Order: sequence, then structure tokens, then C-alpha cells
Amino acid sequence: MIQAQSLTKRYGSKTAVDAVDFTVQPGKVTGLLGPNGAGKSTTMRMIVGLDQPSAGSVTVNGKHYREHAAPLREVGVLLDAKAVHTGRSARNHLLAMAATHGIPAGRVDEVIELTGLGSVARKRVGGFSLGMGQRLGIAAALLGDPAVLILDEPVNGLDPEGVQWVRRLMRHLAAEGRTVLLSSHLMSEMALTADHLIMLGRGRVIADAPVADIIGGAGSNTVRVRSPQATRLATLLAQPDVTVTAGEQDTLDVTGVSAVEIGEQAAAAGIVLHELTSIGASLEDAYMALTQNEVEYRTGGSAELQEAAR
Amino acid sequence: MTTTTLPTAPEAAPAATPSGAGKEAAAIRLSAAGLIRSEWIKLRSVRSTVWSYALLVVFSLGLAAIMSASLDLQGADVSMVPAANQATFVAQASTFGVFFGQLIVAVLGVLTISGEYSTGMIRSTLAAVPNRLPALWAKAAVLFVTTFLVGLVSTVGSYLVSSAVLSGKGLHAGLFDPAVLFPVLGGALYLGLIAVFALGIGTILRSGAGGIAVVLGIVLLVPMVLQMIPAEWATSLLPYLVSNAGINMFGLMSFSQVPIEWWVDLLVVLGWLAASLVGAAVLLKRRDA
Repeated sequence: MIQAQSLTKRYGSKTAVDAVDFTVQPGKVTGLLGPNGAGKSTTMRMIVGLDQPSAGSVTVNGKHYREHAAPLREVGVLLDAKAVHTGRSARNHLLAMAATHGIPAGRVDEVIELTGLGSVARKRVGGFSLGMGQRLGIAAALLGDPAVLILDEPVNGLDPEGVQWVRRLMRHLAAEGRTVLLSSHLMSEMALTADHLIMLGRGRVIADAPVADIIGGAGSNTVRVRSPQATRLATLLAQPDVTVTAGEQDTLDVTGVSAVEIGEQAAAAGIVLHELTSIGASLEDAYMALTQNEVEYRTGGSAELQEAAR
Repeated sequence: MTTTTLPTAPEAAPAATPSGAGKEAAAIRLSAAGLIRSEWIKLRSVRSTVWSYALLVVFSLGLAAIMSASLDLQGADVSMVPAANQATFVAQASTFGVFFGQLIVAVLGVLTISGEYSTGMIRSTLAAVPNRLPALWAKAAVLFVTTFLVGLVSTVGSYLVSSAVLSGKGLHAGLFDPAVLFPVLGGALYLGLIAVFALGIGTILRSGAGGIAVVLGIVLLVPMVLQMIPAEWATSLLPYLVSNAGINMFGLMSFSQVPIEWWVDLLVVLGWLAASLVGAAVLLKRRDA
């Protein structure tokens, strides 16, 4: 459990994190989402005491991070993959980290196995790819078998296999009753991994709700239908509160009516369907809607806007 | 990267409930001994350490050999040289390497911490030790002890080399002759202290290039500049420079008309070290990592 109260960080005249309050619950994967400069990393750094809050406070399992007798048992943190001396081997890095807490060398070998670093553990970190660096960062975070995991962009640089692995790992750790807080700029990733979202914009919390609520809150659920009789289907579905947009290749994007109803109406009318997909509002849509006014470095067109949001 | 492991439970042990796990693994906690062990692993697992210490020993032994071999007695009757003078010469040859060694260990001292800043390792270090200062103390202790011991290897080794060469020329002095033993120990002690002094400067500046420049400036350049200034104040400051006091401490060279007790020199060196470490501690505690 992580609790922030009026947590604030100012750099000179710039307020990076502006009096945020939030609670990160155990047993769930909580995503921290927000455009560049929204204060995600700063918030994470304050949780583990790397940055000193300008005001307010944040506690982990009821205490300030530095007050814990075994910080690595409380919180495992991956702030960036480059928090490792490049001249040292992965195993020696982990051994040095483990030694501070008297964590046995056996645990080091366990996390090396767990993260799939076995073949490179004795190589110097300087030669690691970004993906391997991430795996090492995750290994270090898991060293103390912590109750809370904080991971800043954990899938950054990982191959698809690695992304899936991290996703399963996060879900697994949360299922064990741990508190998992992660940030990612990949919103599709968040939609798949997180249960709960805290959205930050310009240092403030702009949404703090379950993922489903946030997506639902963005409104329109779209259903994509493809049928050789698309025109007939469109007429059939036409109602005041239903919008039907024709796309290419006999495709219709329908809002205002559920996929189930469309399927049943089509069946009743004997219309053949080639595709019936509930697209739903994407997290992207919800995110864009919520951060409309919060993007700090807006550059103009929507494509750029999305880019800026990363 | 071919292996991708399933997210198996981090361990079969009772880790499932985080809060309970904390109590059951009571042995796992931050401790001074753990921090010392951690810093020792860090120190020995980077190449710059191995290179620096190897250079220190090789340079010292080499210089001792050169200095002893180049002694030309010009047919003088060595038996007429008083024992005390013989011992002094042997001691000088044994500790000659310290003049250069101090530069090597000063660079090493800076790199020990600046390497953490330049690579980002410092964030891992401080996340593991959120109170921060214990990490600095552990680093300083490990660096001091290791450098002192390697320094001792190089000064004792240099003694063995130079006494072997010099005894061929008729000069003799035992290692346990106070006139030899004291410089040999003092030289190693000074190397350990200057390394920690440099560690403090490196922590303050957080940069390898900057730290090395400042440390070498203080150790090497300031004494030279002060010596060139023909003013009373400059001359009177000379004995209080860290490198002059350090070298004076083991009695080989004097920077003062009035002889200074070795313990005064030691206090001067410790004063420089304390200033550097206190500055480092204050900034390390205050700054965001």
C-alpha cells in the first residue's frame, strides 16, 4: 500500500507534482499514466526517497520509505534500466545490492533465472541491450521479495515475448497480494495489465479509478461489423440514437447498440456477418479526452498531440 | 536472449503474503556489515579498481628498484655511513612510490563514487540505503582499508626490493628499524587517507572529470603554485597542504623550517579528509539523487 498526501515537488518555480493525493492498493496492478512532464517519474522517485518532497508526504506500508529496517523487502523499484554500473557484471551488481540487506546469494541466482538473464549474468552490463537492462532492473526490483513493486516503464525496450512476460509477472505479483505500481506510455499495455489507473496531468491527479470506469467514462463504445450486405444492415440498424459510419470493404462502425444486439438483428434478418467486433472506447480515447487540457508540450495536430503525450 | 521464464513465484518460501514475509525473514535487513560487504563487492568488481591497485604496486616497486639501483656511492666507504642515514635512505627508496601512488589512489577514490553517478548506479545504491549516509561511510571504510592494505603491500614490497639492491652496495636497514617501519606504515596510511579524501571530493562534485581535476589540483598543483609565490604567507601555508602534510608525516621531506610532529601532520591530513567527507555527507543527504 502506497499513500500520498498533498505530495508536492517543486523545481524552482516549476511545480512537477502539485499536491497529489492517492492510494495504491495491494492485490491490484495500478497504472500511473500521463503525458510527458506530468510528474509520473518524480512521483515514483519521491516514494522511494530519491527525491525529497517539497511538501506533503508519501508512505509505503504505513511508514516513510527510509524508516523501514529493510527497504528492499518493502519496495522493489525499477526507475530506469540504466541505474547500474556499466563496468560490473549483472550478477555482481545483484550480489552487491543483495549484500546490503543480507539477502543470500541463492536469491540472486533465483532472480537471475526468473528474469531469464542466466546466459549473460557474468557479462558486464555495459554490453547489455535495453531489453536485457530492463530484465536486470526487474531482477533487482524482485531481489528483496518486496511487498510493493514500483516500475517505471517496465516494458520499455523489451521484445514481444518479454512484454508478455512482464505483463504476466505483474498480474502474478498482484495476485499474490502485493502492491504493483507501474507507469507506461503504452496505453494499450496499461489496458491489458492494469486494474486501476491514476492519471496525472501537469502534476495533478486528473483521474483515479478502475480501468473499466475510465474507458467507460470516455463514452462511445463502437462495434465494427463487416457484411456483404452492409447497406441492408445499415438500414436495419438505423435508429435515432444509433450512429452508423460506413468504412471500406463492407465495414460499418456502429455506436449506440451492442454487438450482441447487432448479431441478433442480423441473424433475424438473415444477414451474413463476416466480422463482429466490439472495439470499445480505447484507453487511448479516454486518455486523450482526459488529458486534452493537460498536455504540457502540445504541438498542434492530433498526431503530434499523441506523440507529445508519450 | 532465448530464455523467457514464466512468472513463477519468486520463491516457494512463504512470500505470498508480503506483510507476513517481512517478519519471517527477519534476518533480511539493512546492516553495517551488509553495507561493508556490498561496497567491497562493488569495489572489487570493476576493472578500474584492479588496474589502479596493480599500477600502484608496480609503480612503487619499479621506482624503488630504480632509485636503489641509481645510487652511486662513487667508491665511498659505506661502512663509514652512520646506520641512521642508511636506514633513512632505505626508507626513502621504500616510500618513493607514494609520491606517484597518491595520484593513482586519488583518481581511484574519485572514480569509486563518480562512476556511480555517471552510470546511474547511485540511484540503485540510494534506493537500497535510503538514509544515504551509511552507504557513504561504508564506501569510505572499504576504500580506506583496501587502499591501506594495498599501500602496505607496495611499501613493504618496495622495501624488499630496495633493501635487496642496496645491501649489494653495502647499505643495510631492517624493516623493523623504526626509521624504516614508520615511513613504510605512514606511507600506506597516507595512501588510504588520500583515497578517502578524493572520495569525498568526488561525492561533492558527482563528476569524474571534475573530481579528478580538483583532487589533483589540491594534491599536486596548489603546493607547486604556493612554492612559487615568494611571500611569507605562502611559505607558511605549505605545511598545511594535504599532500605536504601527508608526505611530511612519514618523515621524508620537510616543508617547514620548524620540524612538525608526525601527529600534527596526521591531524592536518585528517582535517582535509574531514572537510571533504562532511561536505560530501551534507550534500549527499540534501540533494535529490
